[in-house]
Amino acid sequence: MRFVWDSARKDLVRMLRDPAALLLWIAIPLAIGALIFLAFGGRTPRTPVAPLLIADLDHSLVSGLLITGLGRVPVIAADTASESRGRARVAAGRATALLVIPKGFGDAVLDERPMDLPLITNPAQRVLPGIVQESVDILLDGTFYAQRLFREPLREIRSELAGGAERPSDAATVRASIEVNRAVGRLRRYVTPPVVAVETRVEKGATEAGFGALFLPGLLFMTLLFVGEGVSGDLWRERTQGTLRRVVSSPHSVPAFLAGKLLAGAIVIAAICLVALPLHSLFFGLDPGRLPLALAWSVFSGTVFLAALMLIQLLASSQRTAGVLTSMLLFPLLMVGGSFFPFETMPVWLARIGRATPNGWALSQLKAILGGPVEPGALLAPLLGLAAVGIACFLLGARRLARGFATS
Amino acid sequence: MIEVEGLRKTYGDLVAVDGITFRAEPGRIFGLLGPNGAGKTTTIGCICGLLQPSAGRIRVMGHDVVLEPRAARARMGLVPQELALYEELSAEENLRYWGAAYGLSGDALRRRVGAVLEVAALLDRARTPVRKLSGGLKRRLNFACGIVHAPQVVLLDEATVGVDPQSRVRLLDMVRALAKEGTCVLYTTHYMEEAQSLCDAIGIVDHGKLIALGSLDELRAMVGERDLVRFGGAFDHEATAAALARIEGLELLESAPGGVRIAMREASRRLPELFAALAAARAEVRETTVIQPSLESLFIKLTGRELRD
Repeated sequence: MRFVWDSARKDLVRMLRDPAALLLWIAIPLAIGALIFLAFGGRTPRTPVAPLLIADLDHSLVSGLLITGLGRVPVIAADTASESRGRARVAAGRATALLVIPKGFGDAVLDERPMDLPLITNPAQRVLPGIVQESVDILLDGTFYAQRLFREPLREIRSELAGGAERPSDAATVRASIEVNRAVGRLRRYVTPPVVAVETRVEKGATEAGFGALFLPGLLFMTLLFVGEGVSGDLWRERTQGTLRRVVSSPHSVPAFLAGKLLAGAIVIAAICLVALPLHSLFFGLDPGRLPLALAWSVFSGTVFLAALMLIQLLASSQRTAGVLTSMLLFPLLMVGGSFFPFETMPVWLARIGRATPNGWALSQLKAILGGPVEPGALLAPLLGLAAVGIACFLLGARRLARGFATS
Repeated sequence: MIEVEGLRKTYGDLVAVDGITFRAEPGRIFGLLGPNGAGKTTTIGCICGLLQPSAGRIRVMGHDVVLEPRAARARMGLVPQELALYEELSAEENLRYWGAAYGLSGDALRRRVGAVLEVAALLDRARTPVRKLSGGLKRRLNFACGIVHAPQVVLLDEATVGVDPQSRVRLLDMVRALAKEGTCVLYTTHYMEEAQSLCDAIGIVDHGKLIALGSLDELRAMVGERDLVRFGGAFDHEATAAALARIEGLELLESAPGGVRIAMREASRRLPELFAALAAARAEVRETTVIQPSLESLFIKLTGRELRD
């Protein structure tokens, strides 16, 4: 056991003497996380707004009412434009959609004649054009029902305007107002107060945590895997500088040496988790009572990943092959496994695959621990599974180290 | 003591070591001399447990290296051909780690680290990171790491390769001091002069086989008092052989169209006689080399090649 600690201390001192490498293991995930975080819009998620351009070729009372209505939809920023200018802006990706209100639209509505309104959407956007289309459909339905309710006063105003008047007469306006008041009065008992209403409640903890809280556990696992790659790669450095041969020719067992390296990696992992998890608690409102279990799980699973990465390094035929192998394995796992992009932002099918990856699975367990009370007993089976994988990787690695890696 | 009996190491069809047998005694320096690729490092690898012998038996201080590897390794110190040091650690930290690897701790470790730093003249560089040491100092530290645990047997594999003359002299002095203290030293080298000046007993290895074994005097006796003479040029080898056969005390070792090798006493003084015989045989001599009796001449006599070929 003493040699295990001597080896671990030796590796820790070597890591501290090369702080650039140590910082890179932490800085790279932080930089990647910051970039993705910013790309997704920062800490406070804002409601997306769709710029909608409206080319009004009708200039009627009804088209004016439709434009006013669209301007009041919270997710739409409506603006008028000529049809050609509107098409150009949509093509340039500067607007979500262009709604063209053709000439005769007002008459068609009041006369209940069918008419199509062209909606030209931005092909580069997926969600916002759908929101615009839904909103326009709802408003057009509303226009139809309003027409049914207020057909007569609206027709009277139309005929006055068609007769050349600049604005409706006071009498027509008053009659229309009275008609609208009566209609509203008739409908009030049906529509106010609403019998069924949606009550929105914000689940404490989940939404408050925000996007950063979604990212932090993934970033932590990314860091742990980078640390694992760095520490496991040290086996090749030891081989190159000849120290492995000296270790193998010493009376101490090779597993003790490998255990020392694993212990050094586990201590670095623990140090990172000891900083990251309390920060998570401080900034994203995590219950401090969950920290010990989260810390234990992160360190344990990170150490098992380190053992697996050590085995991969030891099985590779050269240092270059080992580098390519670990990169080929790590980056797809990080991308799919919830470190680059949280599962919550992935399509359901991809998130399902991601949660089935080893790091994705471990990350899901960590998120479960962070997200709510988890009985330690519930983690027993995952812990035993991880321990079995870790021990298998360690024993195979020690065998390979003693039998060929150090001496070939 | 190291006892090697019928050691054989193969890699598939390649035979790296082929039935080597020798014995290295405590307080003496046993040299394994041979060209690069002769099998010296493979032999060392089998002794220190880095390689598994294909056949044969090796005992270190009475412990079989295969059956009792821990006991055997605990009594050995290895100074490998390549540096085996942690560049980020200081000289002292390296020594402490390697001392711990051989079971030293506490005061015993501190004392031994101090002692070997003094022996290797590295006391003033004890806290210097290895990456800042010169090549010669690194070699000395590499040596010190191999003896920090005061082993009974020390294996030195080409310990002076690439070392400046000053450091080489110091390293060789350290090896002699080890032997004087009663340590059994196995020293591999392809430097003939080093083997001659350092070793009490020598085994000459070539193509994995031990081709000569004995003390320096015994090996010199094998080559006799005769010089080796080599002529290079263009020869009618039958006429040359006939002409040289008439010279008294001359042994023709090799006669070929491109060169002739002979052995004879006081060859330097009899060169005019040799040139006359070659001229009579219409030989065109372009190069002449006279080698006085040495390990080099023994190696040439045994293998037909120079040690550094």
